[in-house]
Amino acid sequence: MGVDLGMIARFLGAGISVGFGGMGSGVGEGLCAHHANGAVARQPAAADQIVRTMLVAQAVAETSGIFGLLVAFVLVFGSVAGPPLLQFAVALGAGIAMGMGGIGPGVGAGIAGANACEGIGRQPRLSGLLTRTMLIGQAVSQSTAVYSLVIALLLIFVVGGG
Amino acid sequence: MTGRRKLLLGLVGVLALEVALALKAKPEIEIGAMPQWRFLLGGHEIVINSRTAVMSWLVMGIWIGAALLVRSRLREVPGRLQATFEFVTEFFDDLISDTLGPGNRAYLPWIGSLFLFLWLSNIIGVVPGLEEPTRDLNVPVGCMLVVLTMVHTSAIRKKGLKKYIKGYLQPFPPMLPLNIIGEMAKGVSLAFRLFGNIMGGAIILLVVSALVRHVLLPVGLNLFFGLFVGTIQAFVFTMLALAYTAVAVSD
Repeated sequence: MGVDLGMIARFLGAGISVGFGGMGSGVGEGLCAHHANGAVARQPAAADQIVRTMLVAQAVAETSGIFGLLVAFVLVFGSVAGPPLLQFAVALGAGIAMGMGGIGPGVGAGIAGANACEGIGRQPRLSGLLTRTMLIGQAVSQSTAVYSLVIALLLIFVVGGG
Repeated sequence: MTGRRKLLLGLVGVLALEVALALKAKPEIEIGAMPQWRFLLGGHEIVINSRTAVMSWLVMGIWIGAALLVRSRLREVPGRLQATFEFVTEFFDDLISDTLGPGNRAYLPWIGSLFLFLWLSNIIGVVPGLEEPTRDLNVPVGCMLVVLTMVHTSAIRKKGLKKYIKGYLQPFPPMLPLNIIGEMAKGVSLAFRLFGNIMGGAIILLVVSALVRHVLLPVGLNLFFGLFVGTIQAFVFTMLALAYTAVAVSD
């Protein structure tokens, strides 16, 4: 298959998107597990609630990584139209936007989840309230990842849609 | 047969059905395809996203039907279906009195139906052949507009128009544009969070299904993206709507 500037940029963008997007989620999920372990050690009777909250928190912290994967899929399997230099900018820009934008929300959501797990370890009776507070906080801290996704998809489908 | 074994058998049946249907489907990737009805009305062209409209009416129909069914068979000692509905109602009742304080039961029908609509909308894609209406940006934006209307009208009703407008001049008047942008960012992130998660899951499912020729792997992915992410996102949307209302009506 022929290699052109647009294809190079799409593959580069996909790599950046998944690579950087995974960084934040990885750190965040690790933080969750770390604090959940500490909480279980302190309060073994509440292990069930702690593990449940940890899994939910990790799933939410993974959102930015999944967004990175999504943009990479769209870049690899989709196509970008327009003049070659524009294709290059669109594909690379989308990858950078999602990849870099995903680092912060991943770590931030992870920190929220970690402290929720620790809080349940300290006050097991408040687990419902803590999990709810955590979910709201995580959702708001994910906003910037959502903005990155919007810009990345806008670049690919609207600017590069032809 | 015990309940657990029944559940297991049901799950195996669903899995088998999914695999059978998946083997029949053609491997093709179409992203963002949106069937539309177009017609002229008084010189203007009206465009309706047909699949979205049909699916959201299906979701609404299911809930209306279920509610009528439960209401027609209300009993002192609840059956299984009635108990489920009572559990959901009580859950949101408690949630509202936790967040907004007691005496705010008037919000229950709104919050409850918002959650039920979004939840079924998010997970309905698990059924083969059906598609999540929330995959179309118009549905999350519509729900977001409902939420914003509700938040601001309840703020005005609670505080009075004068105090409501004064709230935008806090902490000092030059902050007015920033406060307005902040309000709009709330709505944008609310709508796009739901859309991004559902659309993202749908696209990843499409691509992975095409890659593995629709064998088995998409079933697990469907459970994660369809059921789990769908439920979490519906809950987050509803909780944020409640939290925004609580912030708006508090002094």
